[in-house]
Amino acid sequence: MQGRVLFTDLTSGKSRIEEDGGLFTELLGGTAVATELLARHGNSETDPLSPLAPVIFTIGPFSALYPVATKTVALFRSPLTGELGESHAGGRLAAALRETGIDALVITGASDRPVFLHIDGQEAKVRSAGTFWGQSAPATDRILREALEKKGRKLSIVRIGPAGERLSPMACATVDSSRHFGRLGLGAVMGSKKLKAIAVSGKGSVVIADSRAYGSVYQTIYDRVVRSGEMKKYHQLGTPANILPLNAIRGLPTRNFTQGFFENASRISGEAFLEEVNVQHIACAHCPCGCIQVAELREKFAPAHYSTVRVSYDYEPIFAVGTQLSISTPREILRLIAFIEKQGWDCMSMGNTLAWATEAFLSGAIGEAETEGLSLSFGDTRSYLEAMQRISSGNGEFFSDLEKGTAFCASKYGGKDFAMHYGGLEPAGYLTGENAVITWIAGVRHSHLDDNGYSLDQKLLMKDLPLEEQVRMQVEEAQWRMVLNSLVICLFARGVYDPQIIADGLKSLGMDWTPERLKQFGAETLKAKYRLKKSYAFDPRGITIPEKMFNVRTSTGFLDRERMARRLDLFMEYAGISREK
Amino acid sequence: MVRILKVVNRDRCIGCLSCMYACTRKLRGLGGTGKSAMRVRAYSGAEGAFSIRVCSRCVRPDCAAACPAGALTTVEGGGVRLDRDKCISCGACVKACTIAALQWDEEDGVPIPCIFCGQCVDFCPNGVIALVERTPSGEGE
Repeated sequence: MQGRVLFTDLTSGKSRIEEDGGLFTELLGGTAVATELLARHGNSETDPLSPLAPVIFTIGPFSALYPVATKTVALFRSPLTGELGESHAGGRLAAALRETGIDALVITGASDRPVFLHIDGQEAKVRSAGTFWGQSAPATDRILREALEKKGRKLSIVRIGPAGERLSPMACATVDSSRHFGRLGLGAVMGSKKLKAIAVSGKGSVVIADSRAYGSVYQTIYDRVVRSGEMKKYHQLGTPANILPLNAIRGLPTRNFTQGFFENASRISGEAFLEEVNVQHIACAHCPCGCIQVAELREKFAPAHYSTVRVSYDYEPIFAVGTQLSISTPREILRLIAFIEKQGWDCMSMGNTLAWATEAFLSGAIGEAETEGLSLSFGDTRSYLEAMQRISSGNGEFFSDLEKGTAFCASKYGGKDFAMHYGGLEPAGYLTGENAVITWIAGVRHSHLDDNGYSLDQKLLMKDLPLEEQVRMQVEEAQWRMVLNSLVICLFARGVYDPQIIADGLKSLGMDWTPERLKQFGAETLKAKYRLKKSYAFDPRGITIPEKMFNVRTSTGFLDRERMARRLDLFMEYAGISREK
Repeated sequence: MVRILKVVNRDRCIGCLSCMYACTRKLRGLGGTGKSAMRVRAYSGAEGAFSIRVCSRCVRPDCAAACPAGALTTVEGGGVRLDRDKCISCGACVKACTIAALQWDEEDGVPIPCIFCGQCVDFCPNGVIALVERTPSGEGE
């Protein structure tokens, strides 16, 4: 990589490119480089939505060069947790960026009017978004694609919907065909900068140090992806393949984490979606696996008249607005997802928050005074659509508050015991046991993908492991994923990319890394990440586990307070994170 | 026997672009898609609909006819070859290709004629493109 970093200051509208090849030689790219850039250019004193708060985007040495190296890393300070915000997204962004020759973006400042950043090769322009501010996330994509698409060029569009414009801390940024920088509120950070979208198009080729070796490593990886069966699950049902197995082990969170079994799981499983509504699989650029599931939602709007929209679905949205809200048909789930896509909310956060609101209403923590007459019940799609309509139109204080997330709502309205969040972030769809909860508390982005917590829980069903061993495996996986996230590989291909093939792949690109050095690098990067998190006052011991979690049966039994504390201590010890504040 | 490329299963395309990466990698030893002699792109506004264009291997190619410098010459059996020294980078050839199959190398300012090697076919995970023998009627089968 050239180590070209594009700095854009939205206050002045000016951009410049600086070369920092050393940064990428030493830190590979992706998450490691982004951490360093945020440490250099960020300031832990500033508000997440302050103009001074930077947004960093990075790609890595494997981007656009090896199959399934499809992710771009975004780092920022999260308005949802106040802490480090990190999110990864696929689509065509990494491929398009690589072909511009720009390896990282550092965006600071704030515009006083709506703008979008147009990166065309190595030219960057801040242009007016005045005509399409207020448009939905999918409409913004259509508008910019038509305006900017050039013959033969790859174009990637990152944009926010109205939720980001309203500074909802659960707003995401959507990339190309329904891929997302989700979870920690990147959409609000972009909204605070009046940055509606980033459009990237490039058409350059990448010179390879040893093109013969490159071809050979490529072939090995391609064969593993396409022919080995390693990615079969994602290639076929995609992530919704998880519904039935998780339900079978009672690990599928249902009705605000009340139980791990959804009685109608078979009606909304990956298999059911495939049979009833799926019309196509599509892929991120340079992923021959193609896990993106696209469904068609056909609805009658007048006698003899139908409208049809395409909606992408995955495991987590099915969990968040399906099992969590007790919705039992693919069509109803798609209607909820389609609404969320247009607004540009993180689907997991919105689903969990609606689940909290429902439990709060049903248990009497809030009443019709708050909901202004709207009755919330699990399974009632119409009331959820109405609630989201009110949220998006700012109709009523309670509804406006809902898009601020579960933690905010529980602290204002009560119902903390069943407010499912960890440090402000609503969890992913796993009620598998203690390891999964540790990931949400201690993981660098508090994502189920930070380590193998939920999968360790599932292993325990087959074979008991000493607690120390479990935590050690979890930390080692967290460290190793720092390597994958620096290259930057989609974690669905984690089984394809072993240390040796990565070392071989880097060598063909003229980078000398041994498997041992890669592992060491992973451990160091994880530590660097926690140093940055600490500067934002991250303290895993300060994160409260929702009381309800101690009263529900997970796949592996009940959570134990002492064991959880012991796990956290061990996690930090093994990861080498100092205990001082 | 003259082999031509044909889009046989357009509806199965997932838009992974493995074909374009293969063309650039296998023929130029480079990464990216910038030197690919064919292209896949998403139709704007139509989620999941991809347009795939491969060279038709014309016997009387419009692209060569449009070249004012004589840089593109017809090859026996159809298709064109580029004489880079003669090319004046005017782009008339790609404009003349109505199906937009002839690609343009933005870095070097020259067209990228297809050589019908079939690498794009080999790296398509879904059998969207095929290398077929041309029939007397001019169509592949």
